[in-house]
Amino acid sequence: MKKLTVLIGLFVVLSLGSGLYAQTTPDESLFREAKLLVYDKSWAAALIKLDDLREKFPDSPYAGQALFYKGECLSGLGGRERDALRAYKDYIRLADAKPSLVEESEGSIIDLAFGLYESGDVPAIGDIERRLGHDNKVIRYYAAYKLSLVSDKKAAAKAVPILSRIIETEKDPELLDRARIALLRISPESLKSVEDRKPAPGSPRMLKIRIWDKGSKEPVFSLNIPWALADLALGALDEDDRAELRKKGYDLNKIVNELAKSKESILRIVGDDGSVIEIWIE
Amino acid sequence: MNKCALTKAEWADFLSGDLEEERRKTMAEHIDKCPDCRAEAGQVERLLKETAAVKAEIRQAVASVNWEALPATIADRAFAASRKPERALPAARPWGWFAALRMKPALAGLAAGLVVGAAAMYFALKAPGPRPGQDTGYYASGEFLDRAELTMARRNTLDYLEKSQYVLLDVFESAGEGGGTPAPFRSEQARDLLSKKKYLNAQLERFQMAKAKAICDQIEMLFLELAQISDVLPAAELGRIRGFVEERQLLLKINLVKKELQSEI
Repeated sequence: MKKLTVLIGLFVVLSLGSGLYAQTTPDESLFREAKLLVYDKSWAAALIKLDDLREKFPDSPYAGQALFYKGECLSGLGGRERDALRAYKDYIRLADAKPSLVEESEGSIIDLAFGLYESGDVPAIGDIERRLGHDNKVIRYYAAYKLSLVSDKKAAAKAVPILSRIIETEKDPELLDRARIALLRISPESLKSVEDRKPAPGSPRMLKIRIWDKGSKEPVFSLNIPWALADLALGALDEDDRAELRKKGYDLNKIVNELAKSKESILRIVGDDGSVIEIWIE
Repeated sequence: MNKCALTKAEWADFLSGDLEEERRKTMAEHIDKCPDCRAEAGQVERLLKETAAVKAEIRQAVASVNWEALPATIADRAFAASRKPERALPAARPWGWFAALRMKPALAGLAAGLVVGAAAMYFALKAPGPRPGQDTGYYASGEFLDRAELTMARRNTLDYLEKSQYVLLDVFESAGEGGGTPAPFRSEQARDLLSKKKYLNAQLERFQMAKAKAICDQIEMLFLELAQISDVLPAAELGRIRGFVEERQLLLKINLVKKELQSEI
């Protein structure tokens, strides 16, 4: 009986011990501590823990992921963008890299390359351009969006085919709006030809707005955009103009929606100060 | 014929009060003395009154025209006319339509006035700038596109925070009940939100929405954890995440940032 009690006791102790070990191995606790520091954006302290983990436990299952978080820390620190880029690229090459973290790494590579390019490192744009042909559409789309923001219009134009494809094939309104604005920025003609290829039956095609100051022959504000962006465009009108209109009892969103519903084509509002707003829907 | 050297134009100026005072006095004195000129002035006065009547008719007619719809109406009629079989013009009186007007001078005056009035109104309405009817290309200024992106950033951040709340509450619900939504579903949602966050990063930084960026970054870290879960999340792990979120008062912070964004939209 005594023997049995000792055996059971030993079994319980071993079980608890192994259970505890399974819950918090030293490499895992080090990894968790590092992640908490990353969460709090304590980049330098997190970096020390992550380097410590990779040095002391090179075979740990967390050593690979530590590379990803190292990239996050280096990126967050500022001034070490190239090191961050290297860390993310190293992580992507790992055989056991997790798909979600690979996707994140690719996004971060695009962001870092964009920053480097804009600060004068011209070859860095290659990291964005290469990702225009990525198998994963999330990465491909993001590369195209980011490329549309570069100051060199010739380089930005390389994003046009992907952005046009997004408008033609995707359904997510957020993604569509981004692609439309990006195309409007770099190639309004391309946006026009894509929109003309897929007309939405029963809804207007274009919203035009002109604002003239009193006595001016040329409008102080001109806009021709696809109807799909109308809501966003009205939200983006200068707050002073909107406040002025509200004071006069006009709700621009309501007006435009009414115009669209009633199939009227034009609205002209003359302000007390002599300024004129004209809105066309075609 | 009047033997005096005064012209009809001078009488018209005299009658409409467009002459200088000295000249007007001289002509008034002359009318009193000269019967020919009195008769001439009477004729011009009658003519001017008739013209004024026609002018009033023209103004009335012009006012009744819907100028906004006029171009479309003209275009419709032009197309309709072009679709009608052509009618042969009467060979003997090709100017027949004009002759009809000649028969009614007032009507002719009205028609001429309408044309002149329409042209004047067109140019008056045309001001202050050209109508971009034929202008079919898209364009927007860089400044406007930036503002549109700021509006989009606010809306999308709000949307991201709301969806994140749902996912986190879903995780905690299942932690409380010891089951709940299967982990792969949460993982899918988390990955979707992570892909949206990529776009938000650039905008939040660009538009210096620091508070929103900080909270979105914290959520992103949690979703990185959730996105890696391939099996049903153990209760202990769920409890750990919930404890962490509660300790950092993440849901409260999300609500506060949401309120701020809602007031800005």
